[in-house]
Amino acid sequence: MTLNIKKALCIMLAAMLTVTMAVTAFADDPYTSYNYNAWKEAVPSQNGYQVTDTITGADIGLDQLSDPDSEFFISEDEPATLSDSKDFFLCESTEEWYIVDTGNNRIIKTDLEFNLLACFKTFTGSSMTTETTLEDGTVEVTEANTLKSPYGIYVDDDGIMYIADRDNQRVIKCNQDCEIITEYTRPDSELYDSVSFYCTKVLVDAAKNVYVICPAVNKGAIMYSASGTFLGYFGANKVEVTAQVVINKMWRKIATESQSATLTKATPVEYANFDIDDQGFIYTVTEAANTTTDAVKKLNPAGENIIARTENGAEIVFGDQTSVTYSGTTYSTRLTDISIGDNGIVNILDYTSGRIFQYDREFNLLFIFGCDQEDQNGGFDNPNAIESYGDKIYVLDGRNNDITVFSETLFGTYVHEAAEMYNEGLYEESLELWQEILKRDGNYNMAYVAIGKALLNQDEYEEAMKYLKAGYDDEDYDKAFEYYRKDLMRNNFTAAVIVIAVLIVLYIVVRMLQKRGKIPDHLWKRLFRLIGKGIKTLANKIVGVFTKNKKGGAVNGL
Amino acid sequence: MVYDMTPIQWLKHVVFHPIEGYEDMRWKKQGSMPIAIVIVFLLLVAQVVKERMGGFAFNMAAYSDVFNIVPIITQSVIIYLAWVVANWSFCTLLDGEGNMRRIAIYSAYALVPYIVCTVISTIMTYALTLDESIWSSAIYYVGLIWTAVLIVTGMKACHQYSYTKTFVCIALTVVGMILILCMFVLILSLFQQVYVFFYTIYTEIMYRVRS
Repeated sequence: MTLNIKKALCIMLAAMLTVTMAVTAFADDPYTSYNYNAWKEAVPSQNGYQVTDTITGADIGLDQLSDPDSEFFISEDEPATLSDSKDFFLCESTEEWYIVDTGNNRIIKTDLEFNLLACFKTFTGSSMTTETTLEDGTVEVTEANTLKSPYGIYVDDDGIMYIADRDNQRVIKCNQDCEIITEYTRPDSELYDSVSFYCTKVLVDAAKNVYVICPAVNKGAIMYSASGTFLGYFGANKVEVTAQVVINKMWRKIATESQSATLTKATPVEYANFDIDDQGFIYTVTEAANTTTDAVKKLNPAGENIIARTENGAEIVFGDQTSVTYSGTTYSTRLTDISIGDNGIVNILDYTSGRIFQYDREFNLLFIFGCDQEDQNGGFDNPNAIESYGDKIYVLDGRNNDITVFSETLFGTYVHEAAEMYNEGLYEESLELWQEILKRDGNYNMAYVAIGKALLNQDEYEEAMKYLKAGYDDEDYDKAFEYYRKDLMRNNFTAAVIVIAVLIVLYIVVRMLQKRGKIPDHLWKRLFRLIGKGIKTLANKIVGVFTKNKKGGAVNGL
Repeated sequence: MVYDMTPIQWLKHVVFHPIEGYEDMRWKKQGSMPIAIVIVFLLLVAQVVKERMGGFAFNMAAYSDVFNIVPIITQSVIIYLAWVVANWSFCTLLDGEGNMRRIAIYSAYALVPYIVCTVISTIMTYALTLDESIWSSAIYYVGLIWTAVLIVTGMKACHQYSYTKTFVCIALTVVGMILILCMFVLILSLFQQVYVFFYTIYTEIMYRVRS
């Protein structure tokens, strides 16, 4: 009796365990991970990242801003939530977050765990003025000491903030005490032909040059020196070559000046966002839907795109490979933000689908995760910005007003480690890791290629050919095949020579015998005829047997 | 020269004597329709082989799961038929002596070098690396040029033209082929629309009947 109870308890426990395990494994992911195979078809894949946390204004502690007892108190009616937040920035040297709260015109500074550290709202030392109409009709001119829809932020290692103050049409450079050091305003230059200066994103390189993106300017990022003088433009996109562009170009050749003035001008799409990596390369993303040229660029200091110059670089299609039409609406990739993580890993955020596409530094696709189901964890409505730090990815949503934290899974760790070793050329060292990855996800194409290359380095050509074939890597397969063939020929050289020699000797002997008349001239023909006759007689015999049987059967029946 | 040959021997004679082979065949009123049909079928086979076989490094697409035979049929059989019809249409108007049957047979015989060389070059890629791909493509192009020469001499013999007239006729035939294929596509889409129209009427009536 007791034994039975024990048994039942054991079974129940086991059942409960499996149920809870299943729940922990699947409950967190509202999306199914996928990857692209060599034919650019979506295939299921393992999750490289999982949602571990969602940070809202309440989690940050923004209610302290309207609490008179708190040290962060600003005013009684200071909102306690984020509002249409456009950008955030992680200062990696101090591990501090700077969140641009666009709708509330403030910058919120927190630590790495999103505990409130400061809120920047008023700034001193501006040379700009704003005009406000008072209730009695008089116009008061005051120093522009507040922000007006700030869109972007960059913080350098010394804690100097660069804020793209969009509706004030300026970028301010200020220290942590909100004292403005320099203001970057609309360049007073003939090169700058736009009337406005609605800046949205800002970036600073190691030499403290400031790069600013204005959506109205399509000549590239506007570049300032540290002191605030306009230097020029940086890294403009190229015009996408469409049939219309080609036709216009041909017309322009034959048209007169006044005629060509009426033709539409081909202008490039401006890029939406950028990030800078440790080595000073600037990565840009272009948000225009379905763009094939310059969707993602890696710019060297001269403003040239390096990706286009690498092998296969021009063929990479970033984001989803095909656009999807679903109940009348077409969803195509719109890359809105980019973030460079450890080891040059590139994270790109797609505004349309809410997905994050992660590439290694050679632009091999590693993971796709996230979705646009805004009601669920890990789903986004208005994903505006992405940041990465260590093994975590942070995504800022401007409609849900929260920050979603993704953490690397064990599978993700394996892939990152293996990909880094692979890109360093340590194929053999990464072999075991890749095999572990294949055990977890047989669809992971890069693993087959990596294992194939490792085996190629270990001179196991036949095995290498098998893996490279599975990974659809034709060029490395060719290399493996070349060595395999060489080995094959070397090992069987003696046998082949002997066979050829014997054949030649036979031929000569037969020829000589033919000449002496020992063998009739048309020996082969005779042989063939003989064989043919044999087959004929055999066939006749078989047919004969069958017909006889039939006849015999008939006789018996009678 | 003994011209007492079997149909297969005639085929061999034509292929290996590009200049006078067709003239001989025409003189002796030779050429077999069944053999021509078999050759056109083999052309289809050769195109399938070219598409779906070959060394991995040469033809990676052959190792994908997706295979559609319709484009291959269009590339071989349909093009051949369009060629025959277009050539016949133009050359009848341009005092050509060939009839449809003869054009079909002569054109099919000319395809033999292309078929053989395509298959050989595809099989060669299994033993070659990409650096040596020149050998396989050389064989392929030898077959292609050989077939082109045979087509020219074949049409010349078939219609008893001069070389200039043959080339003009071939150029016209290509234009005719394009016209035929365009009409074909047009008619197909028209029938598609007619079909959709009747299908809509059918469904409409069925709704009325049911309700």
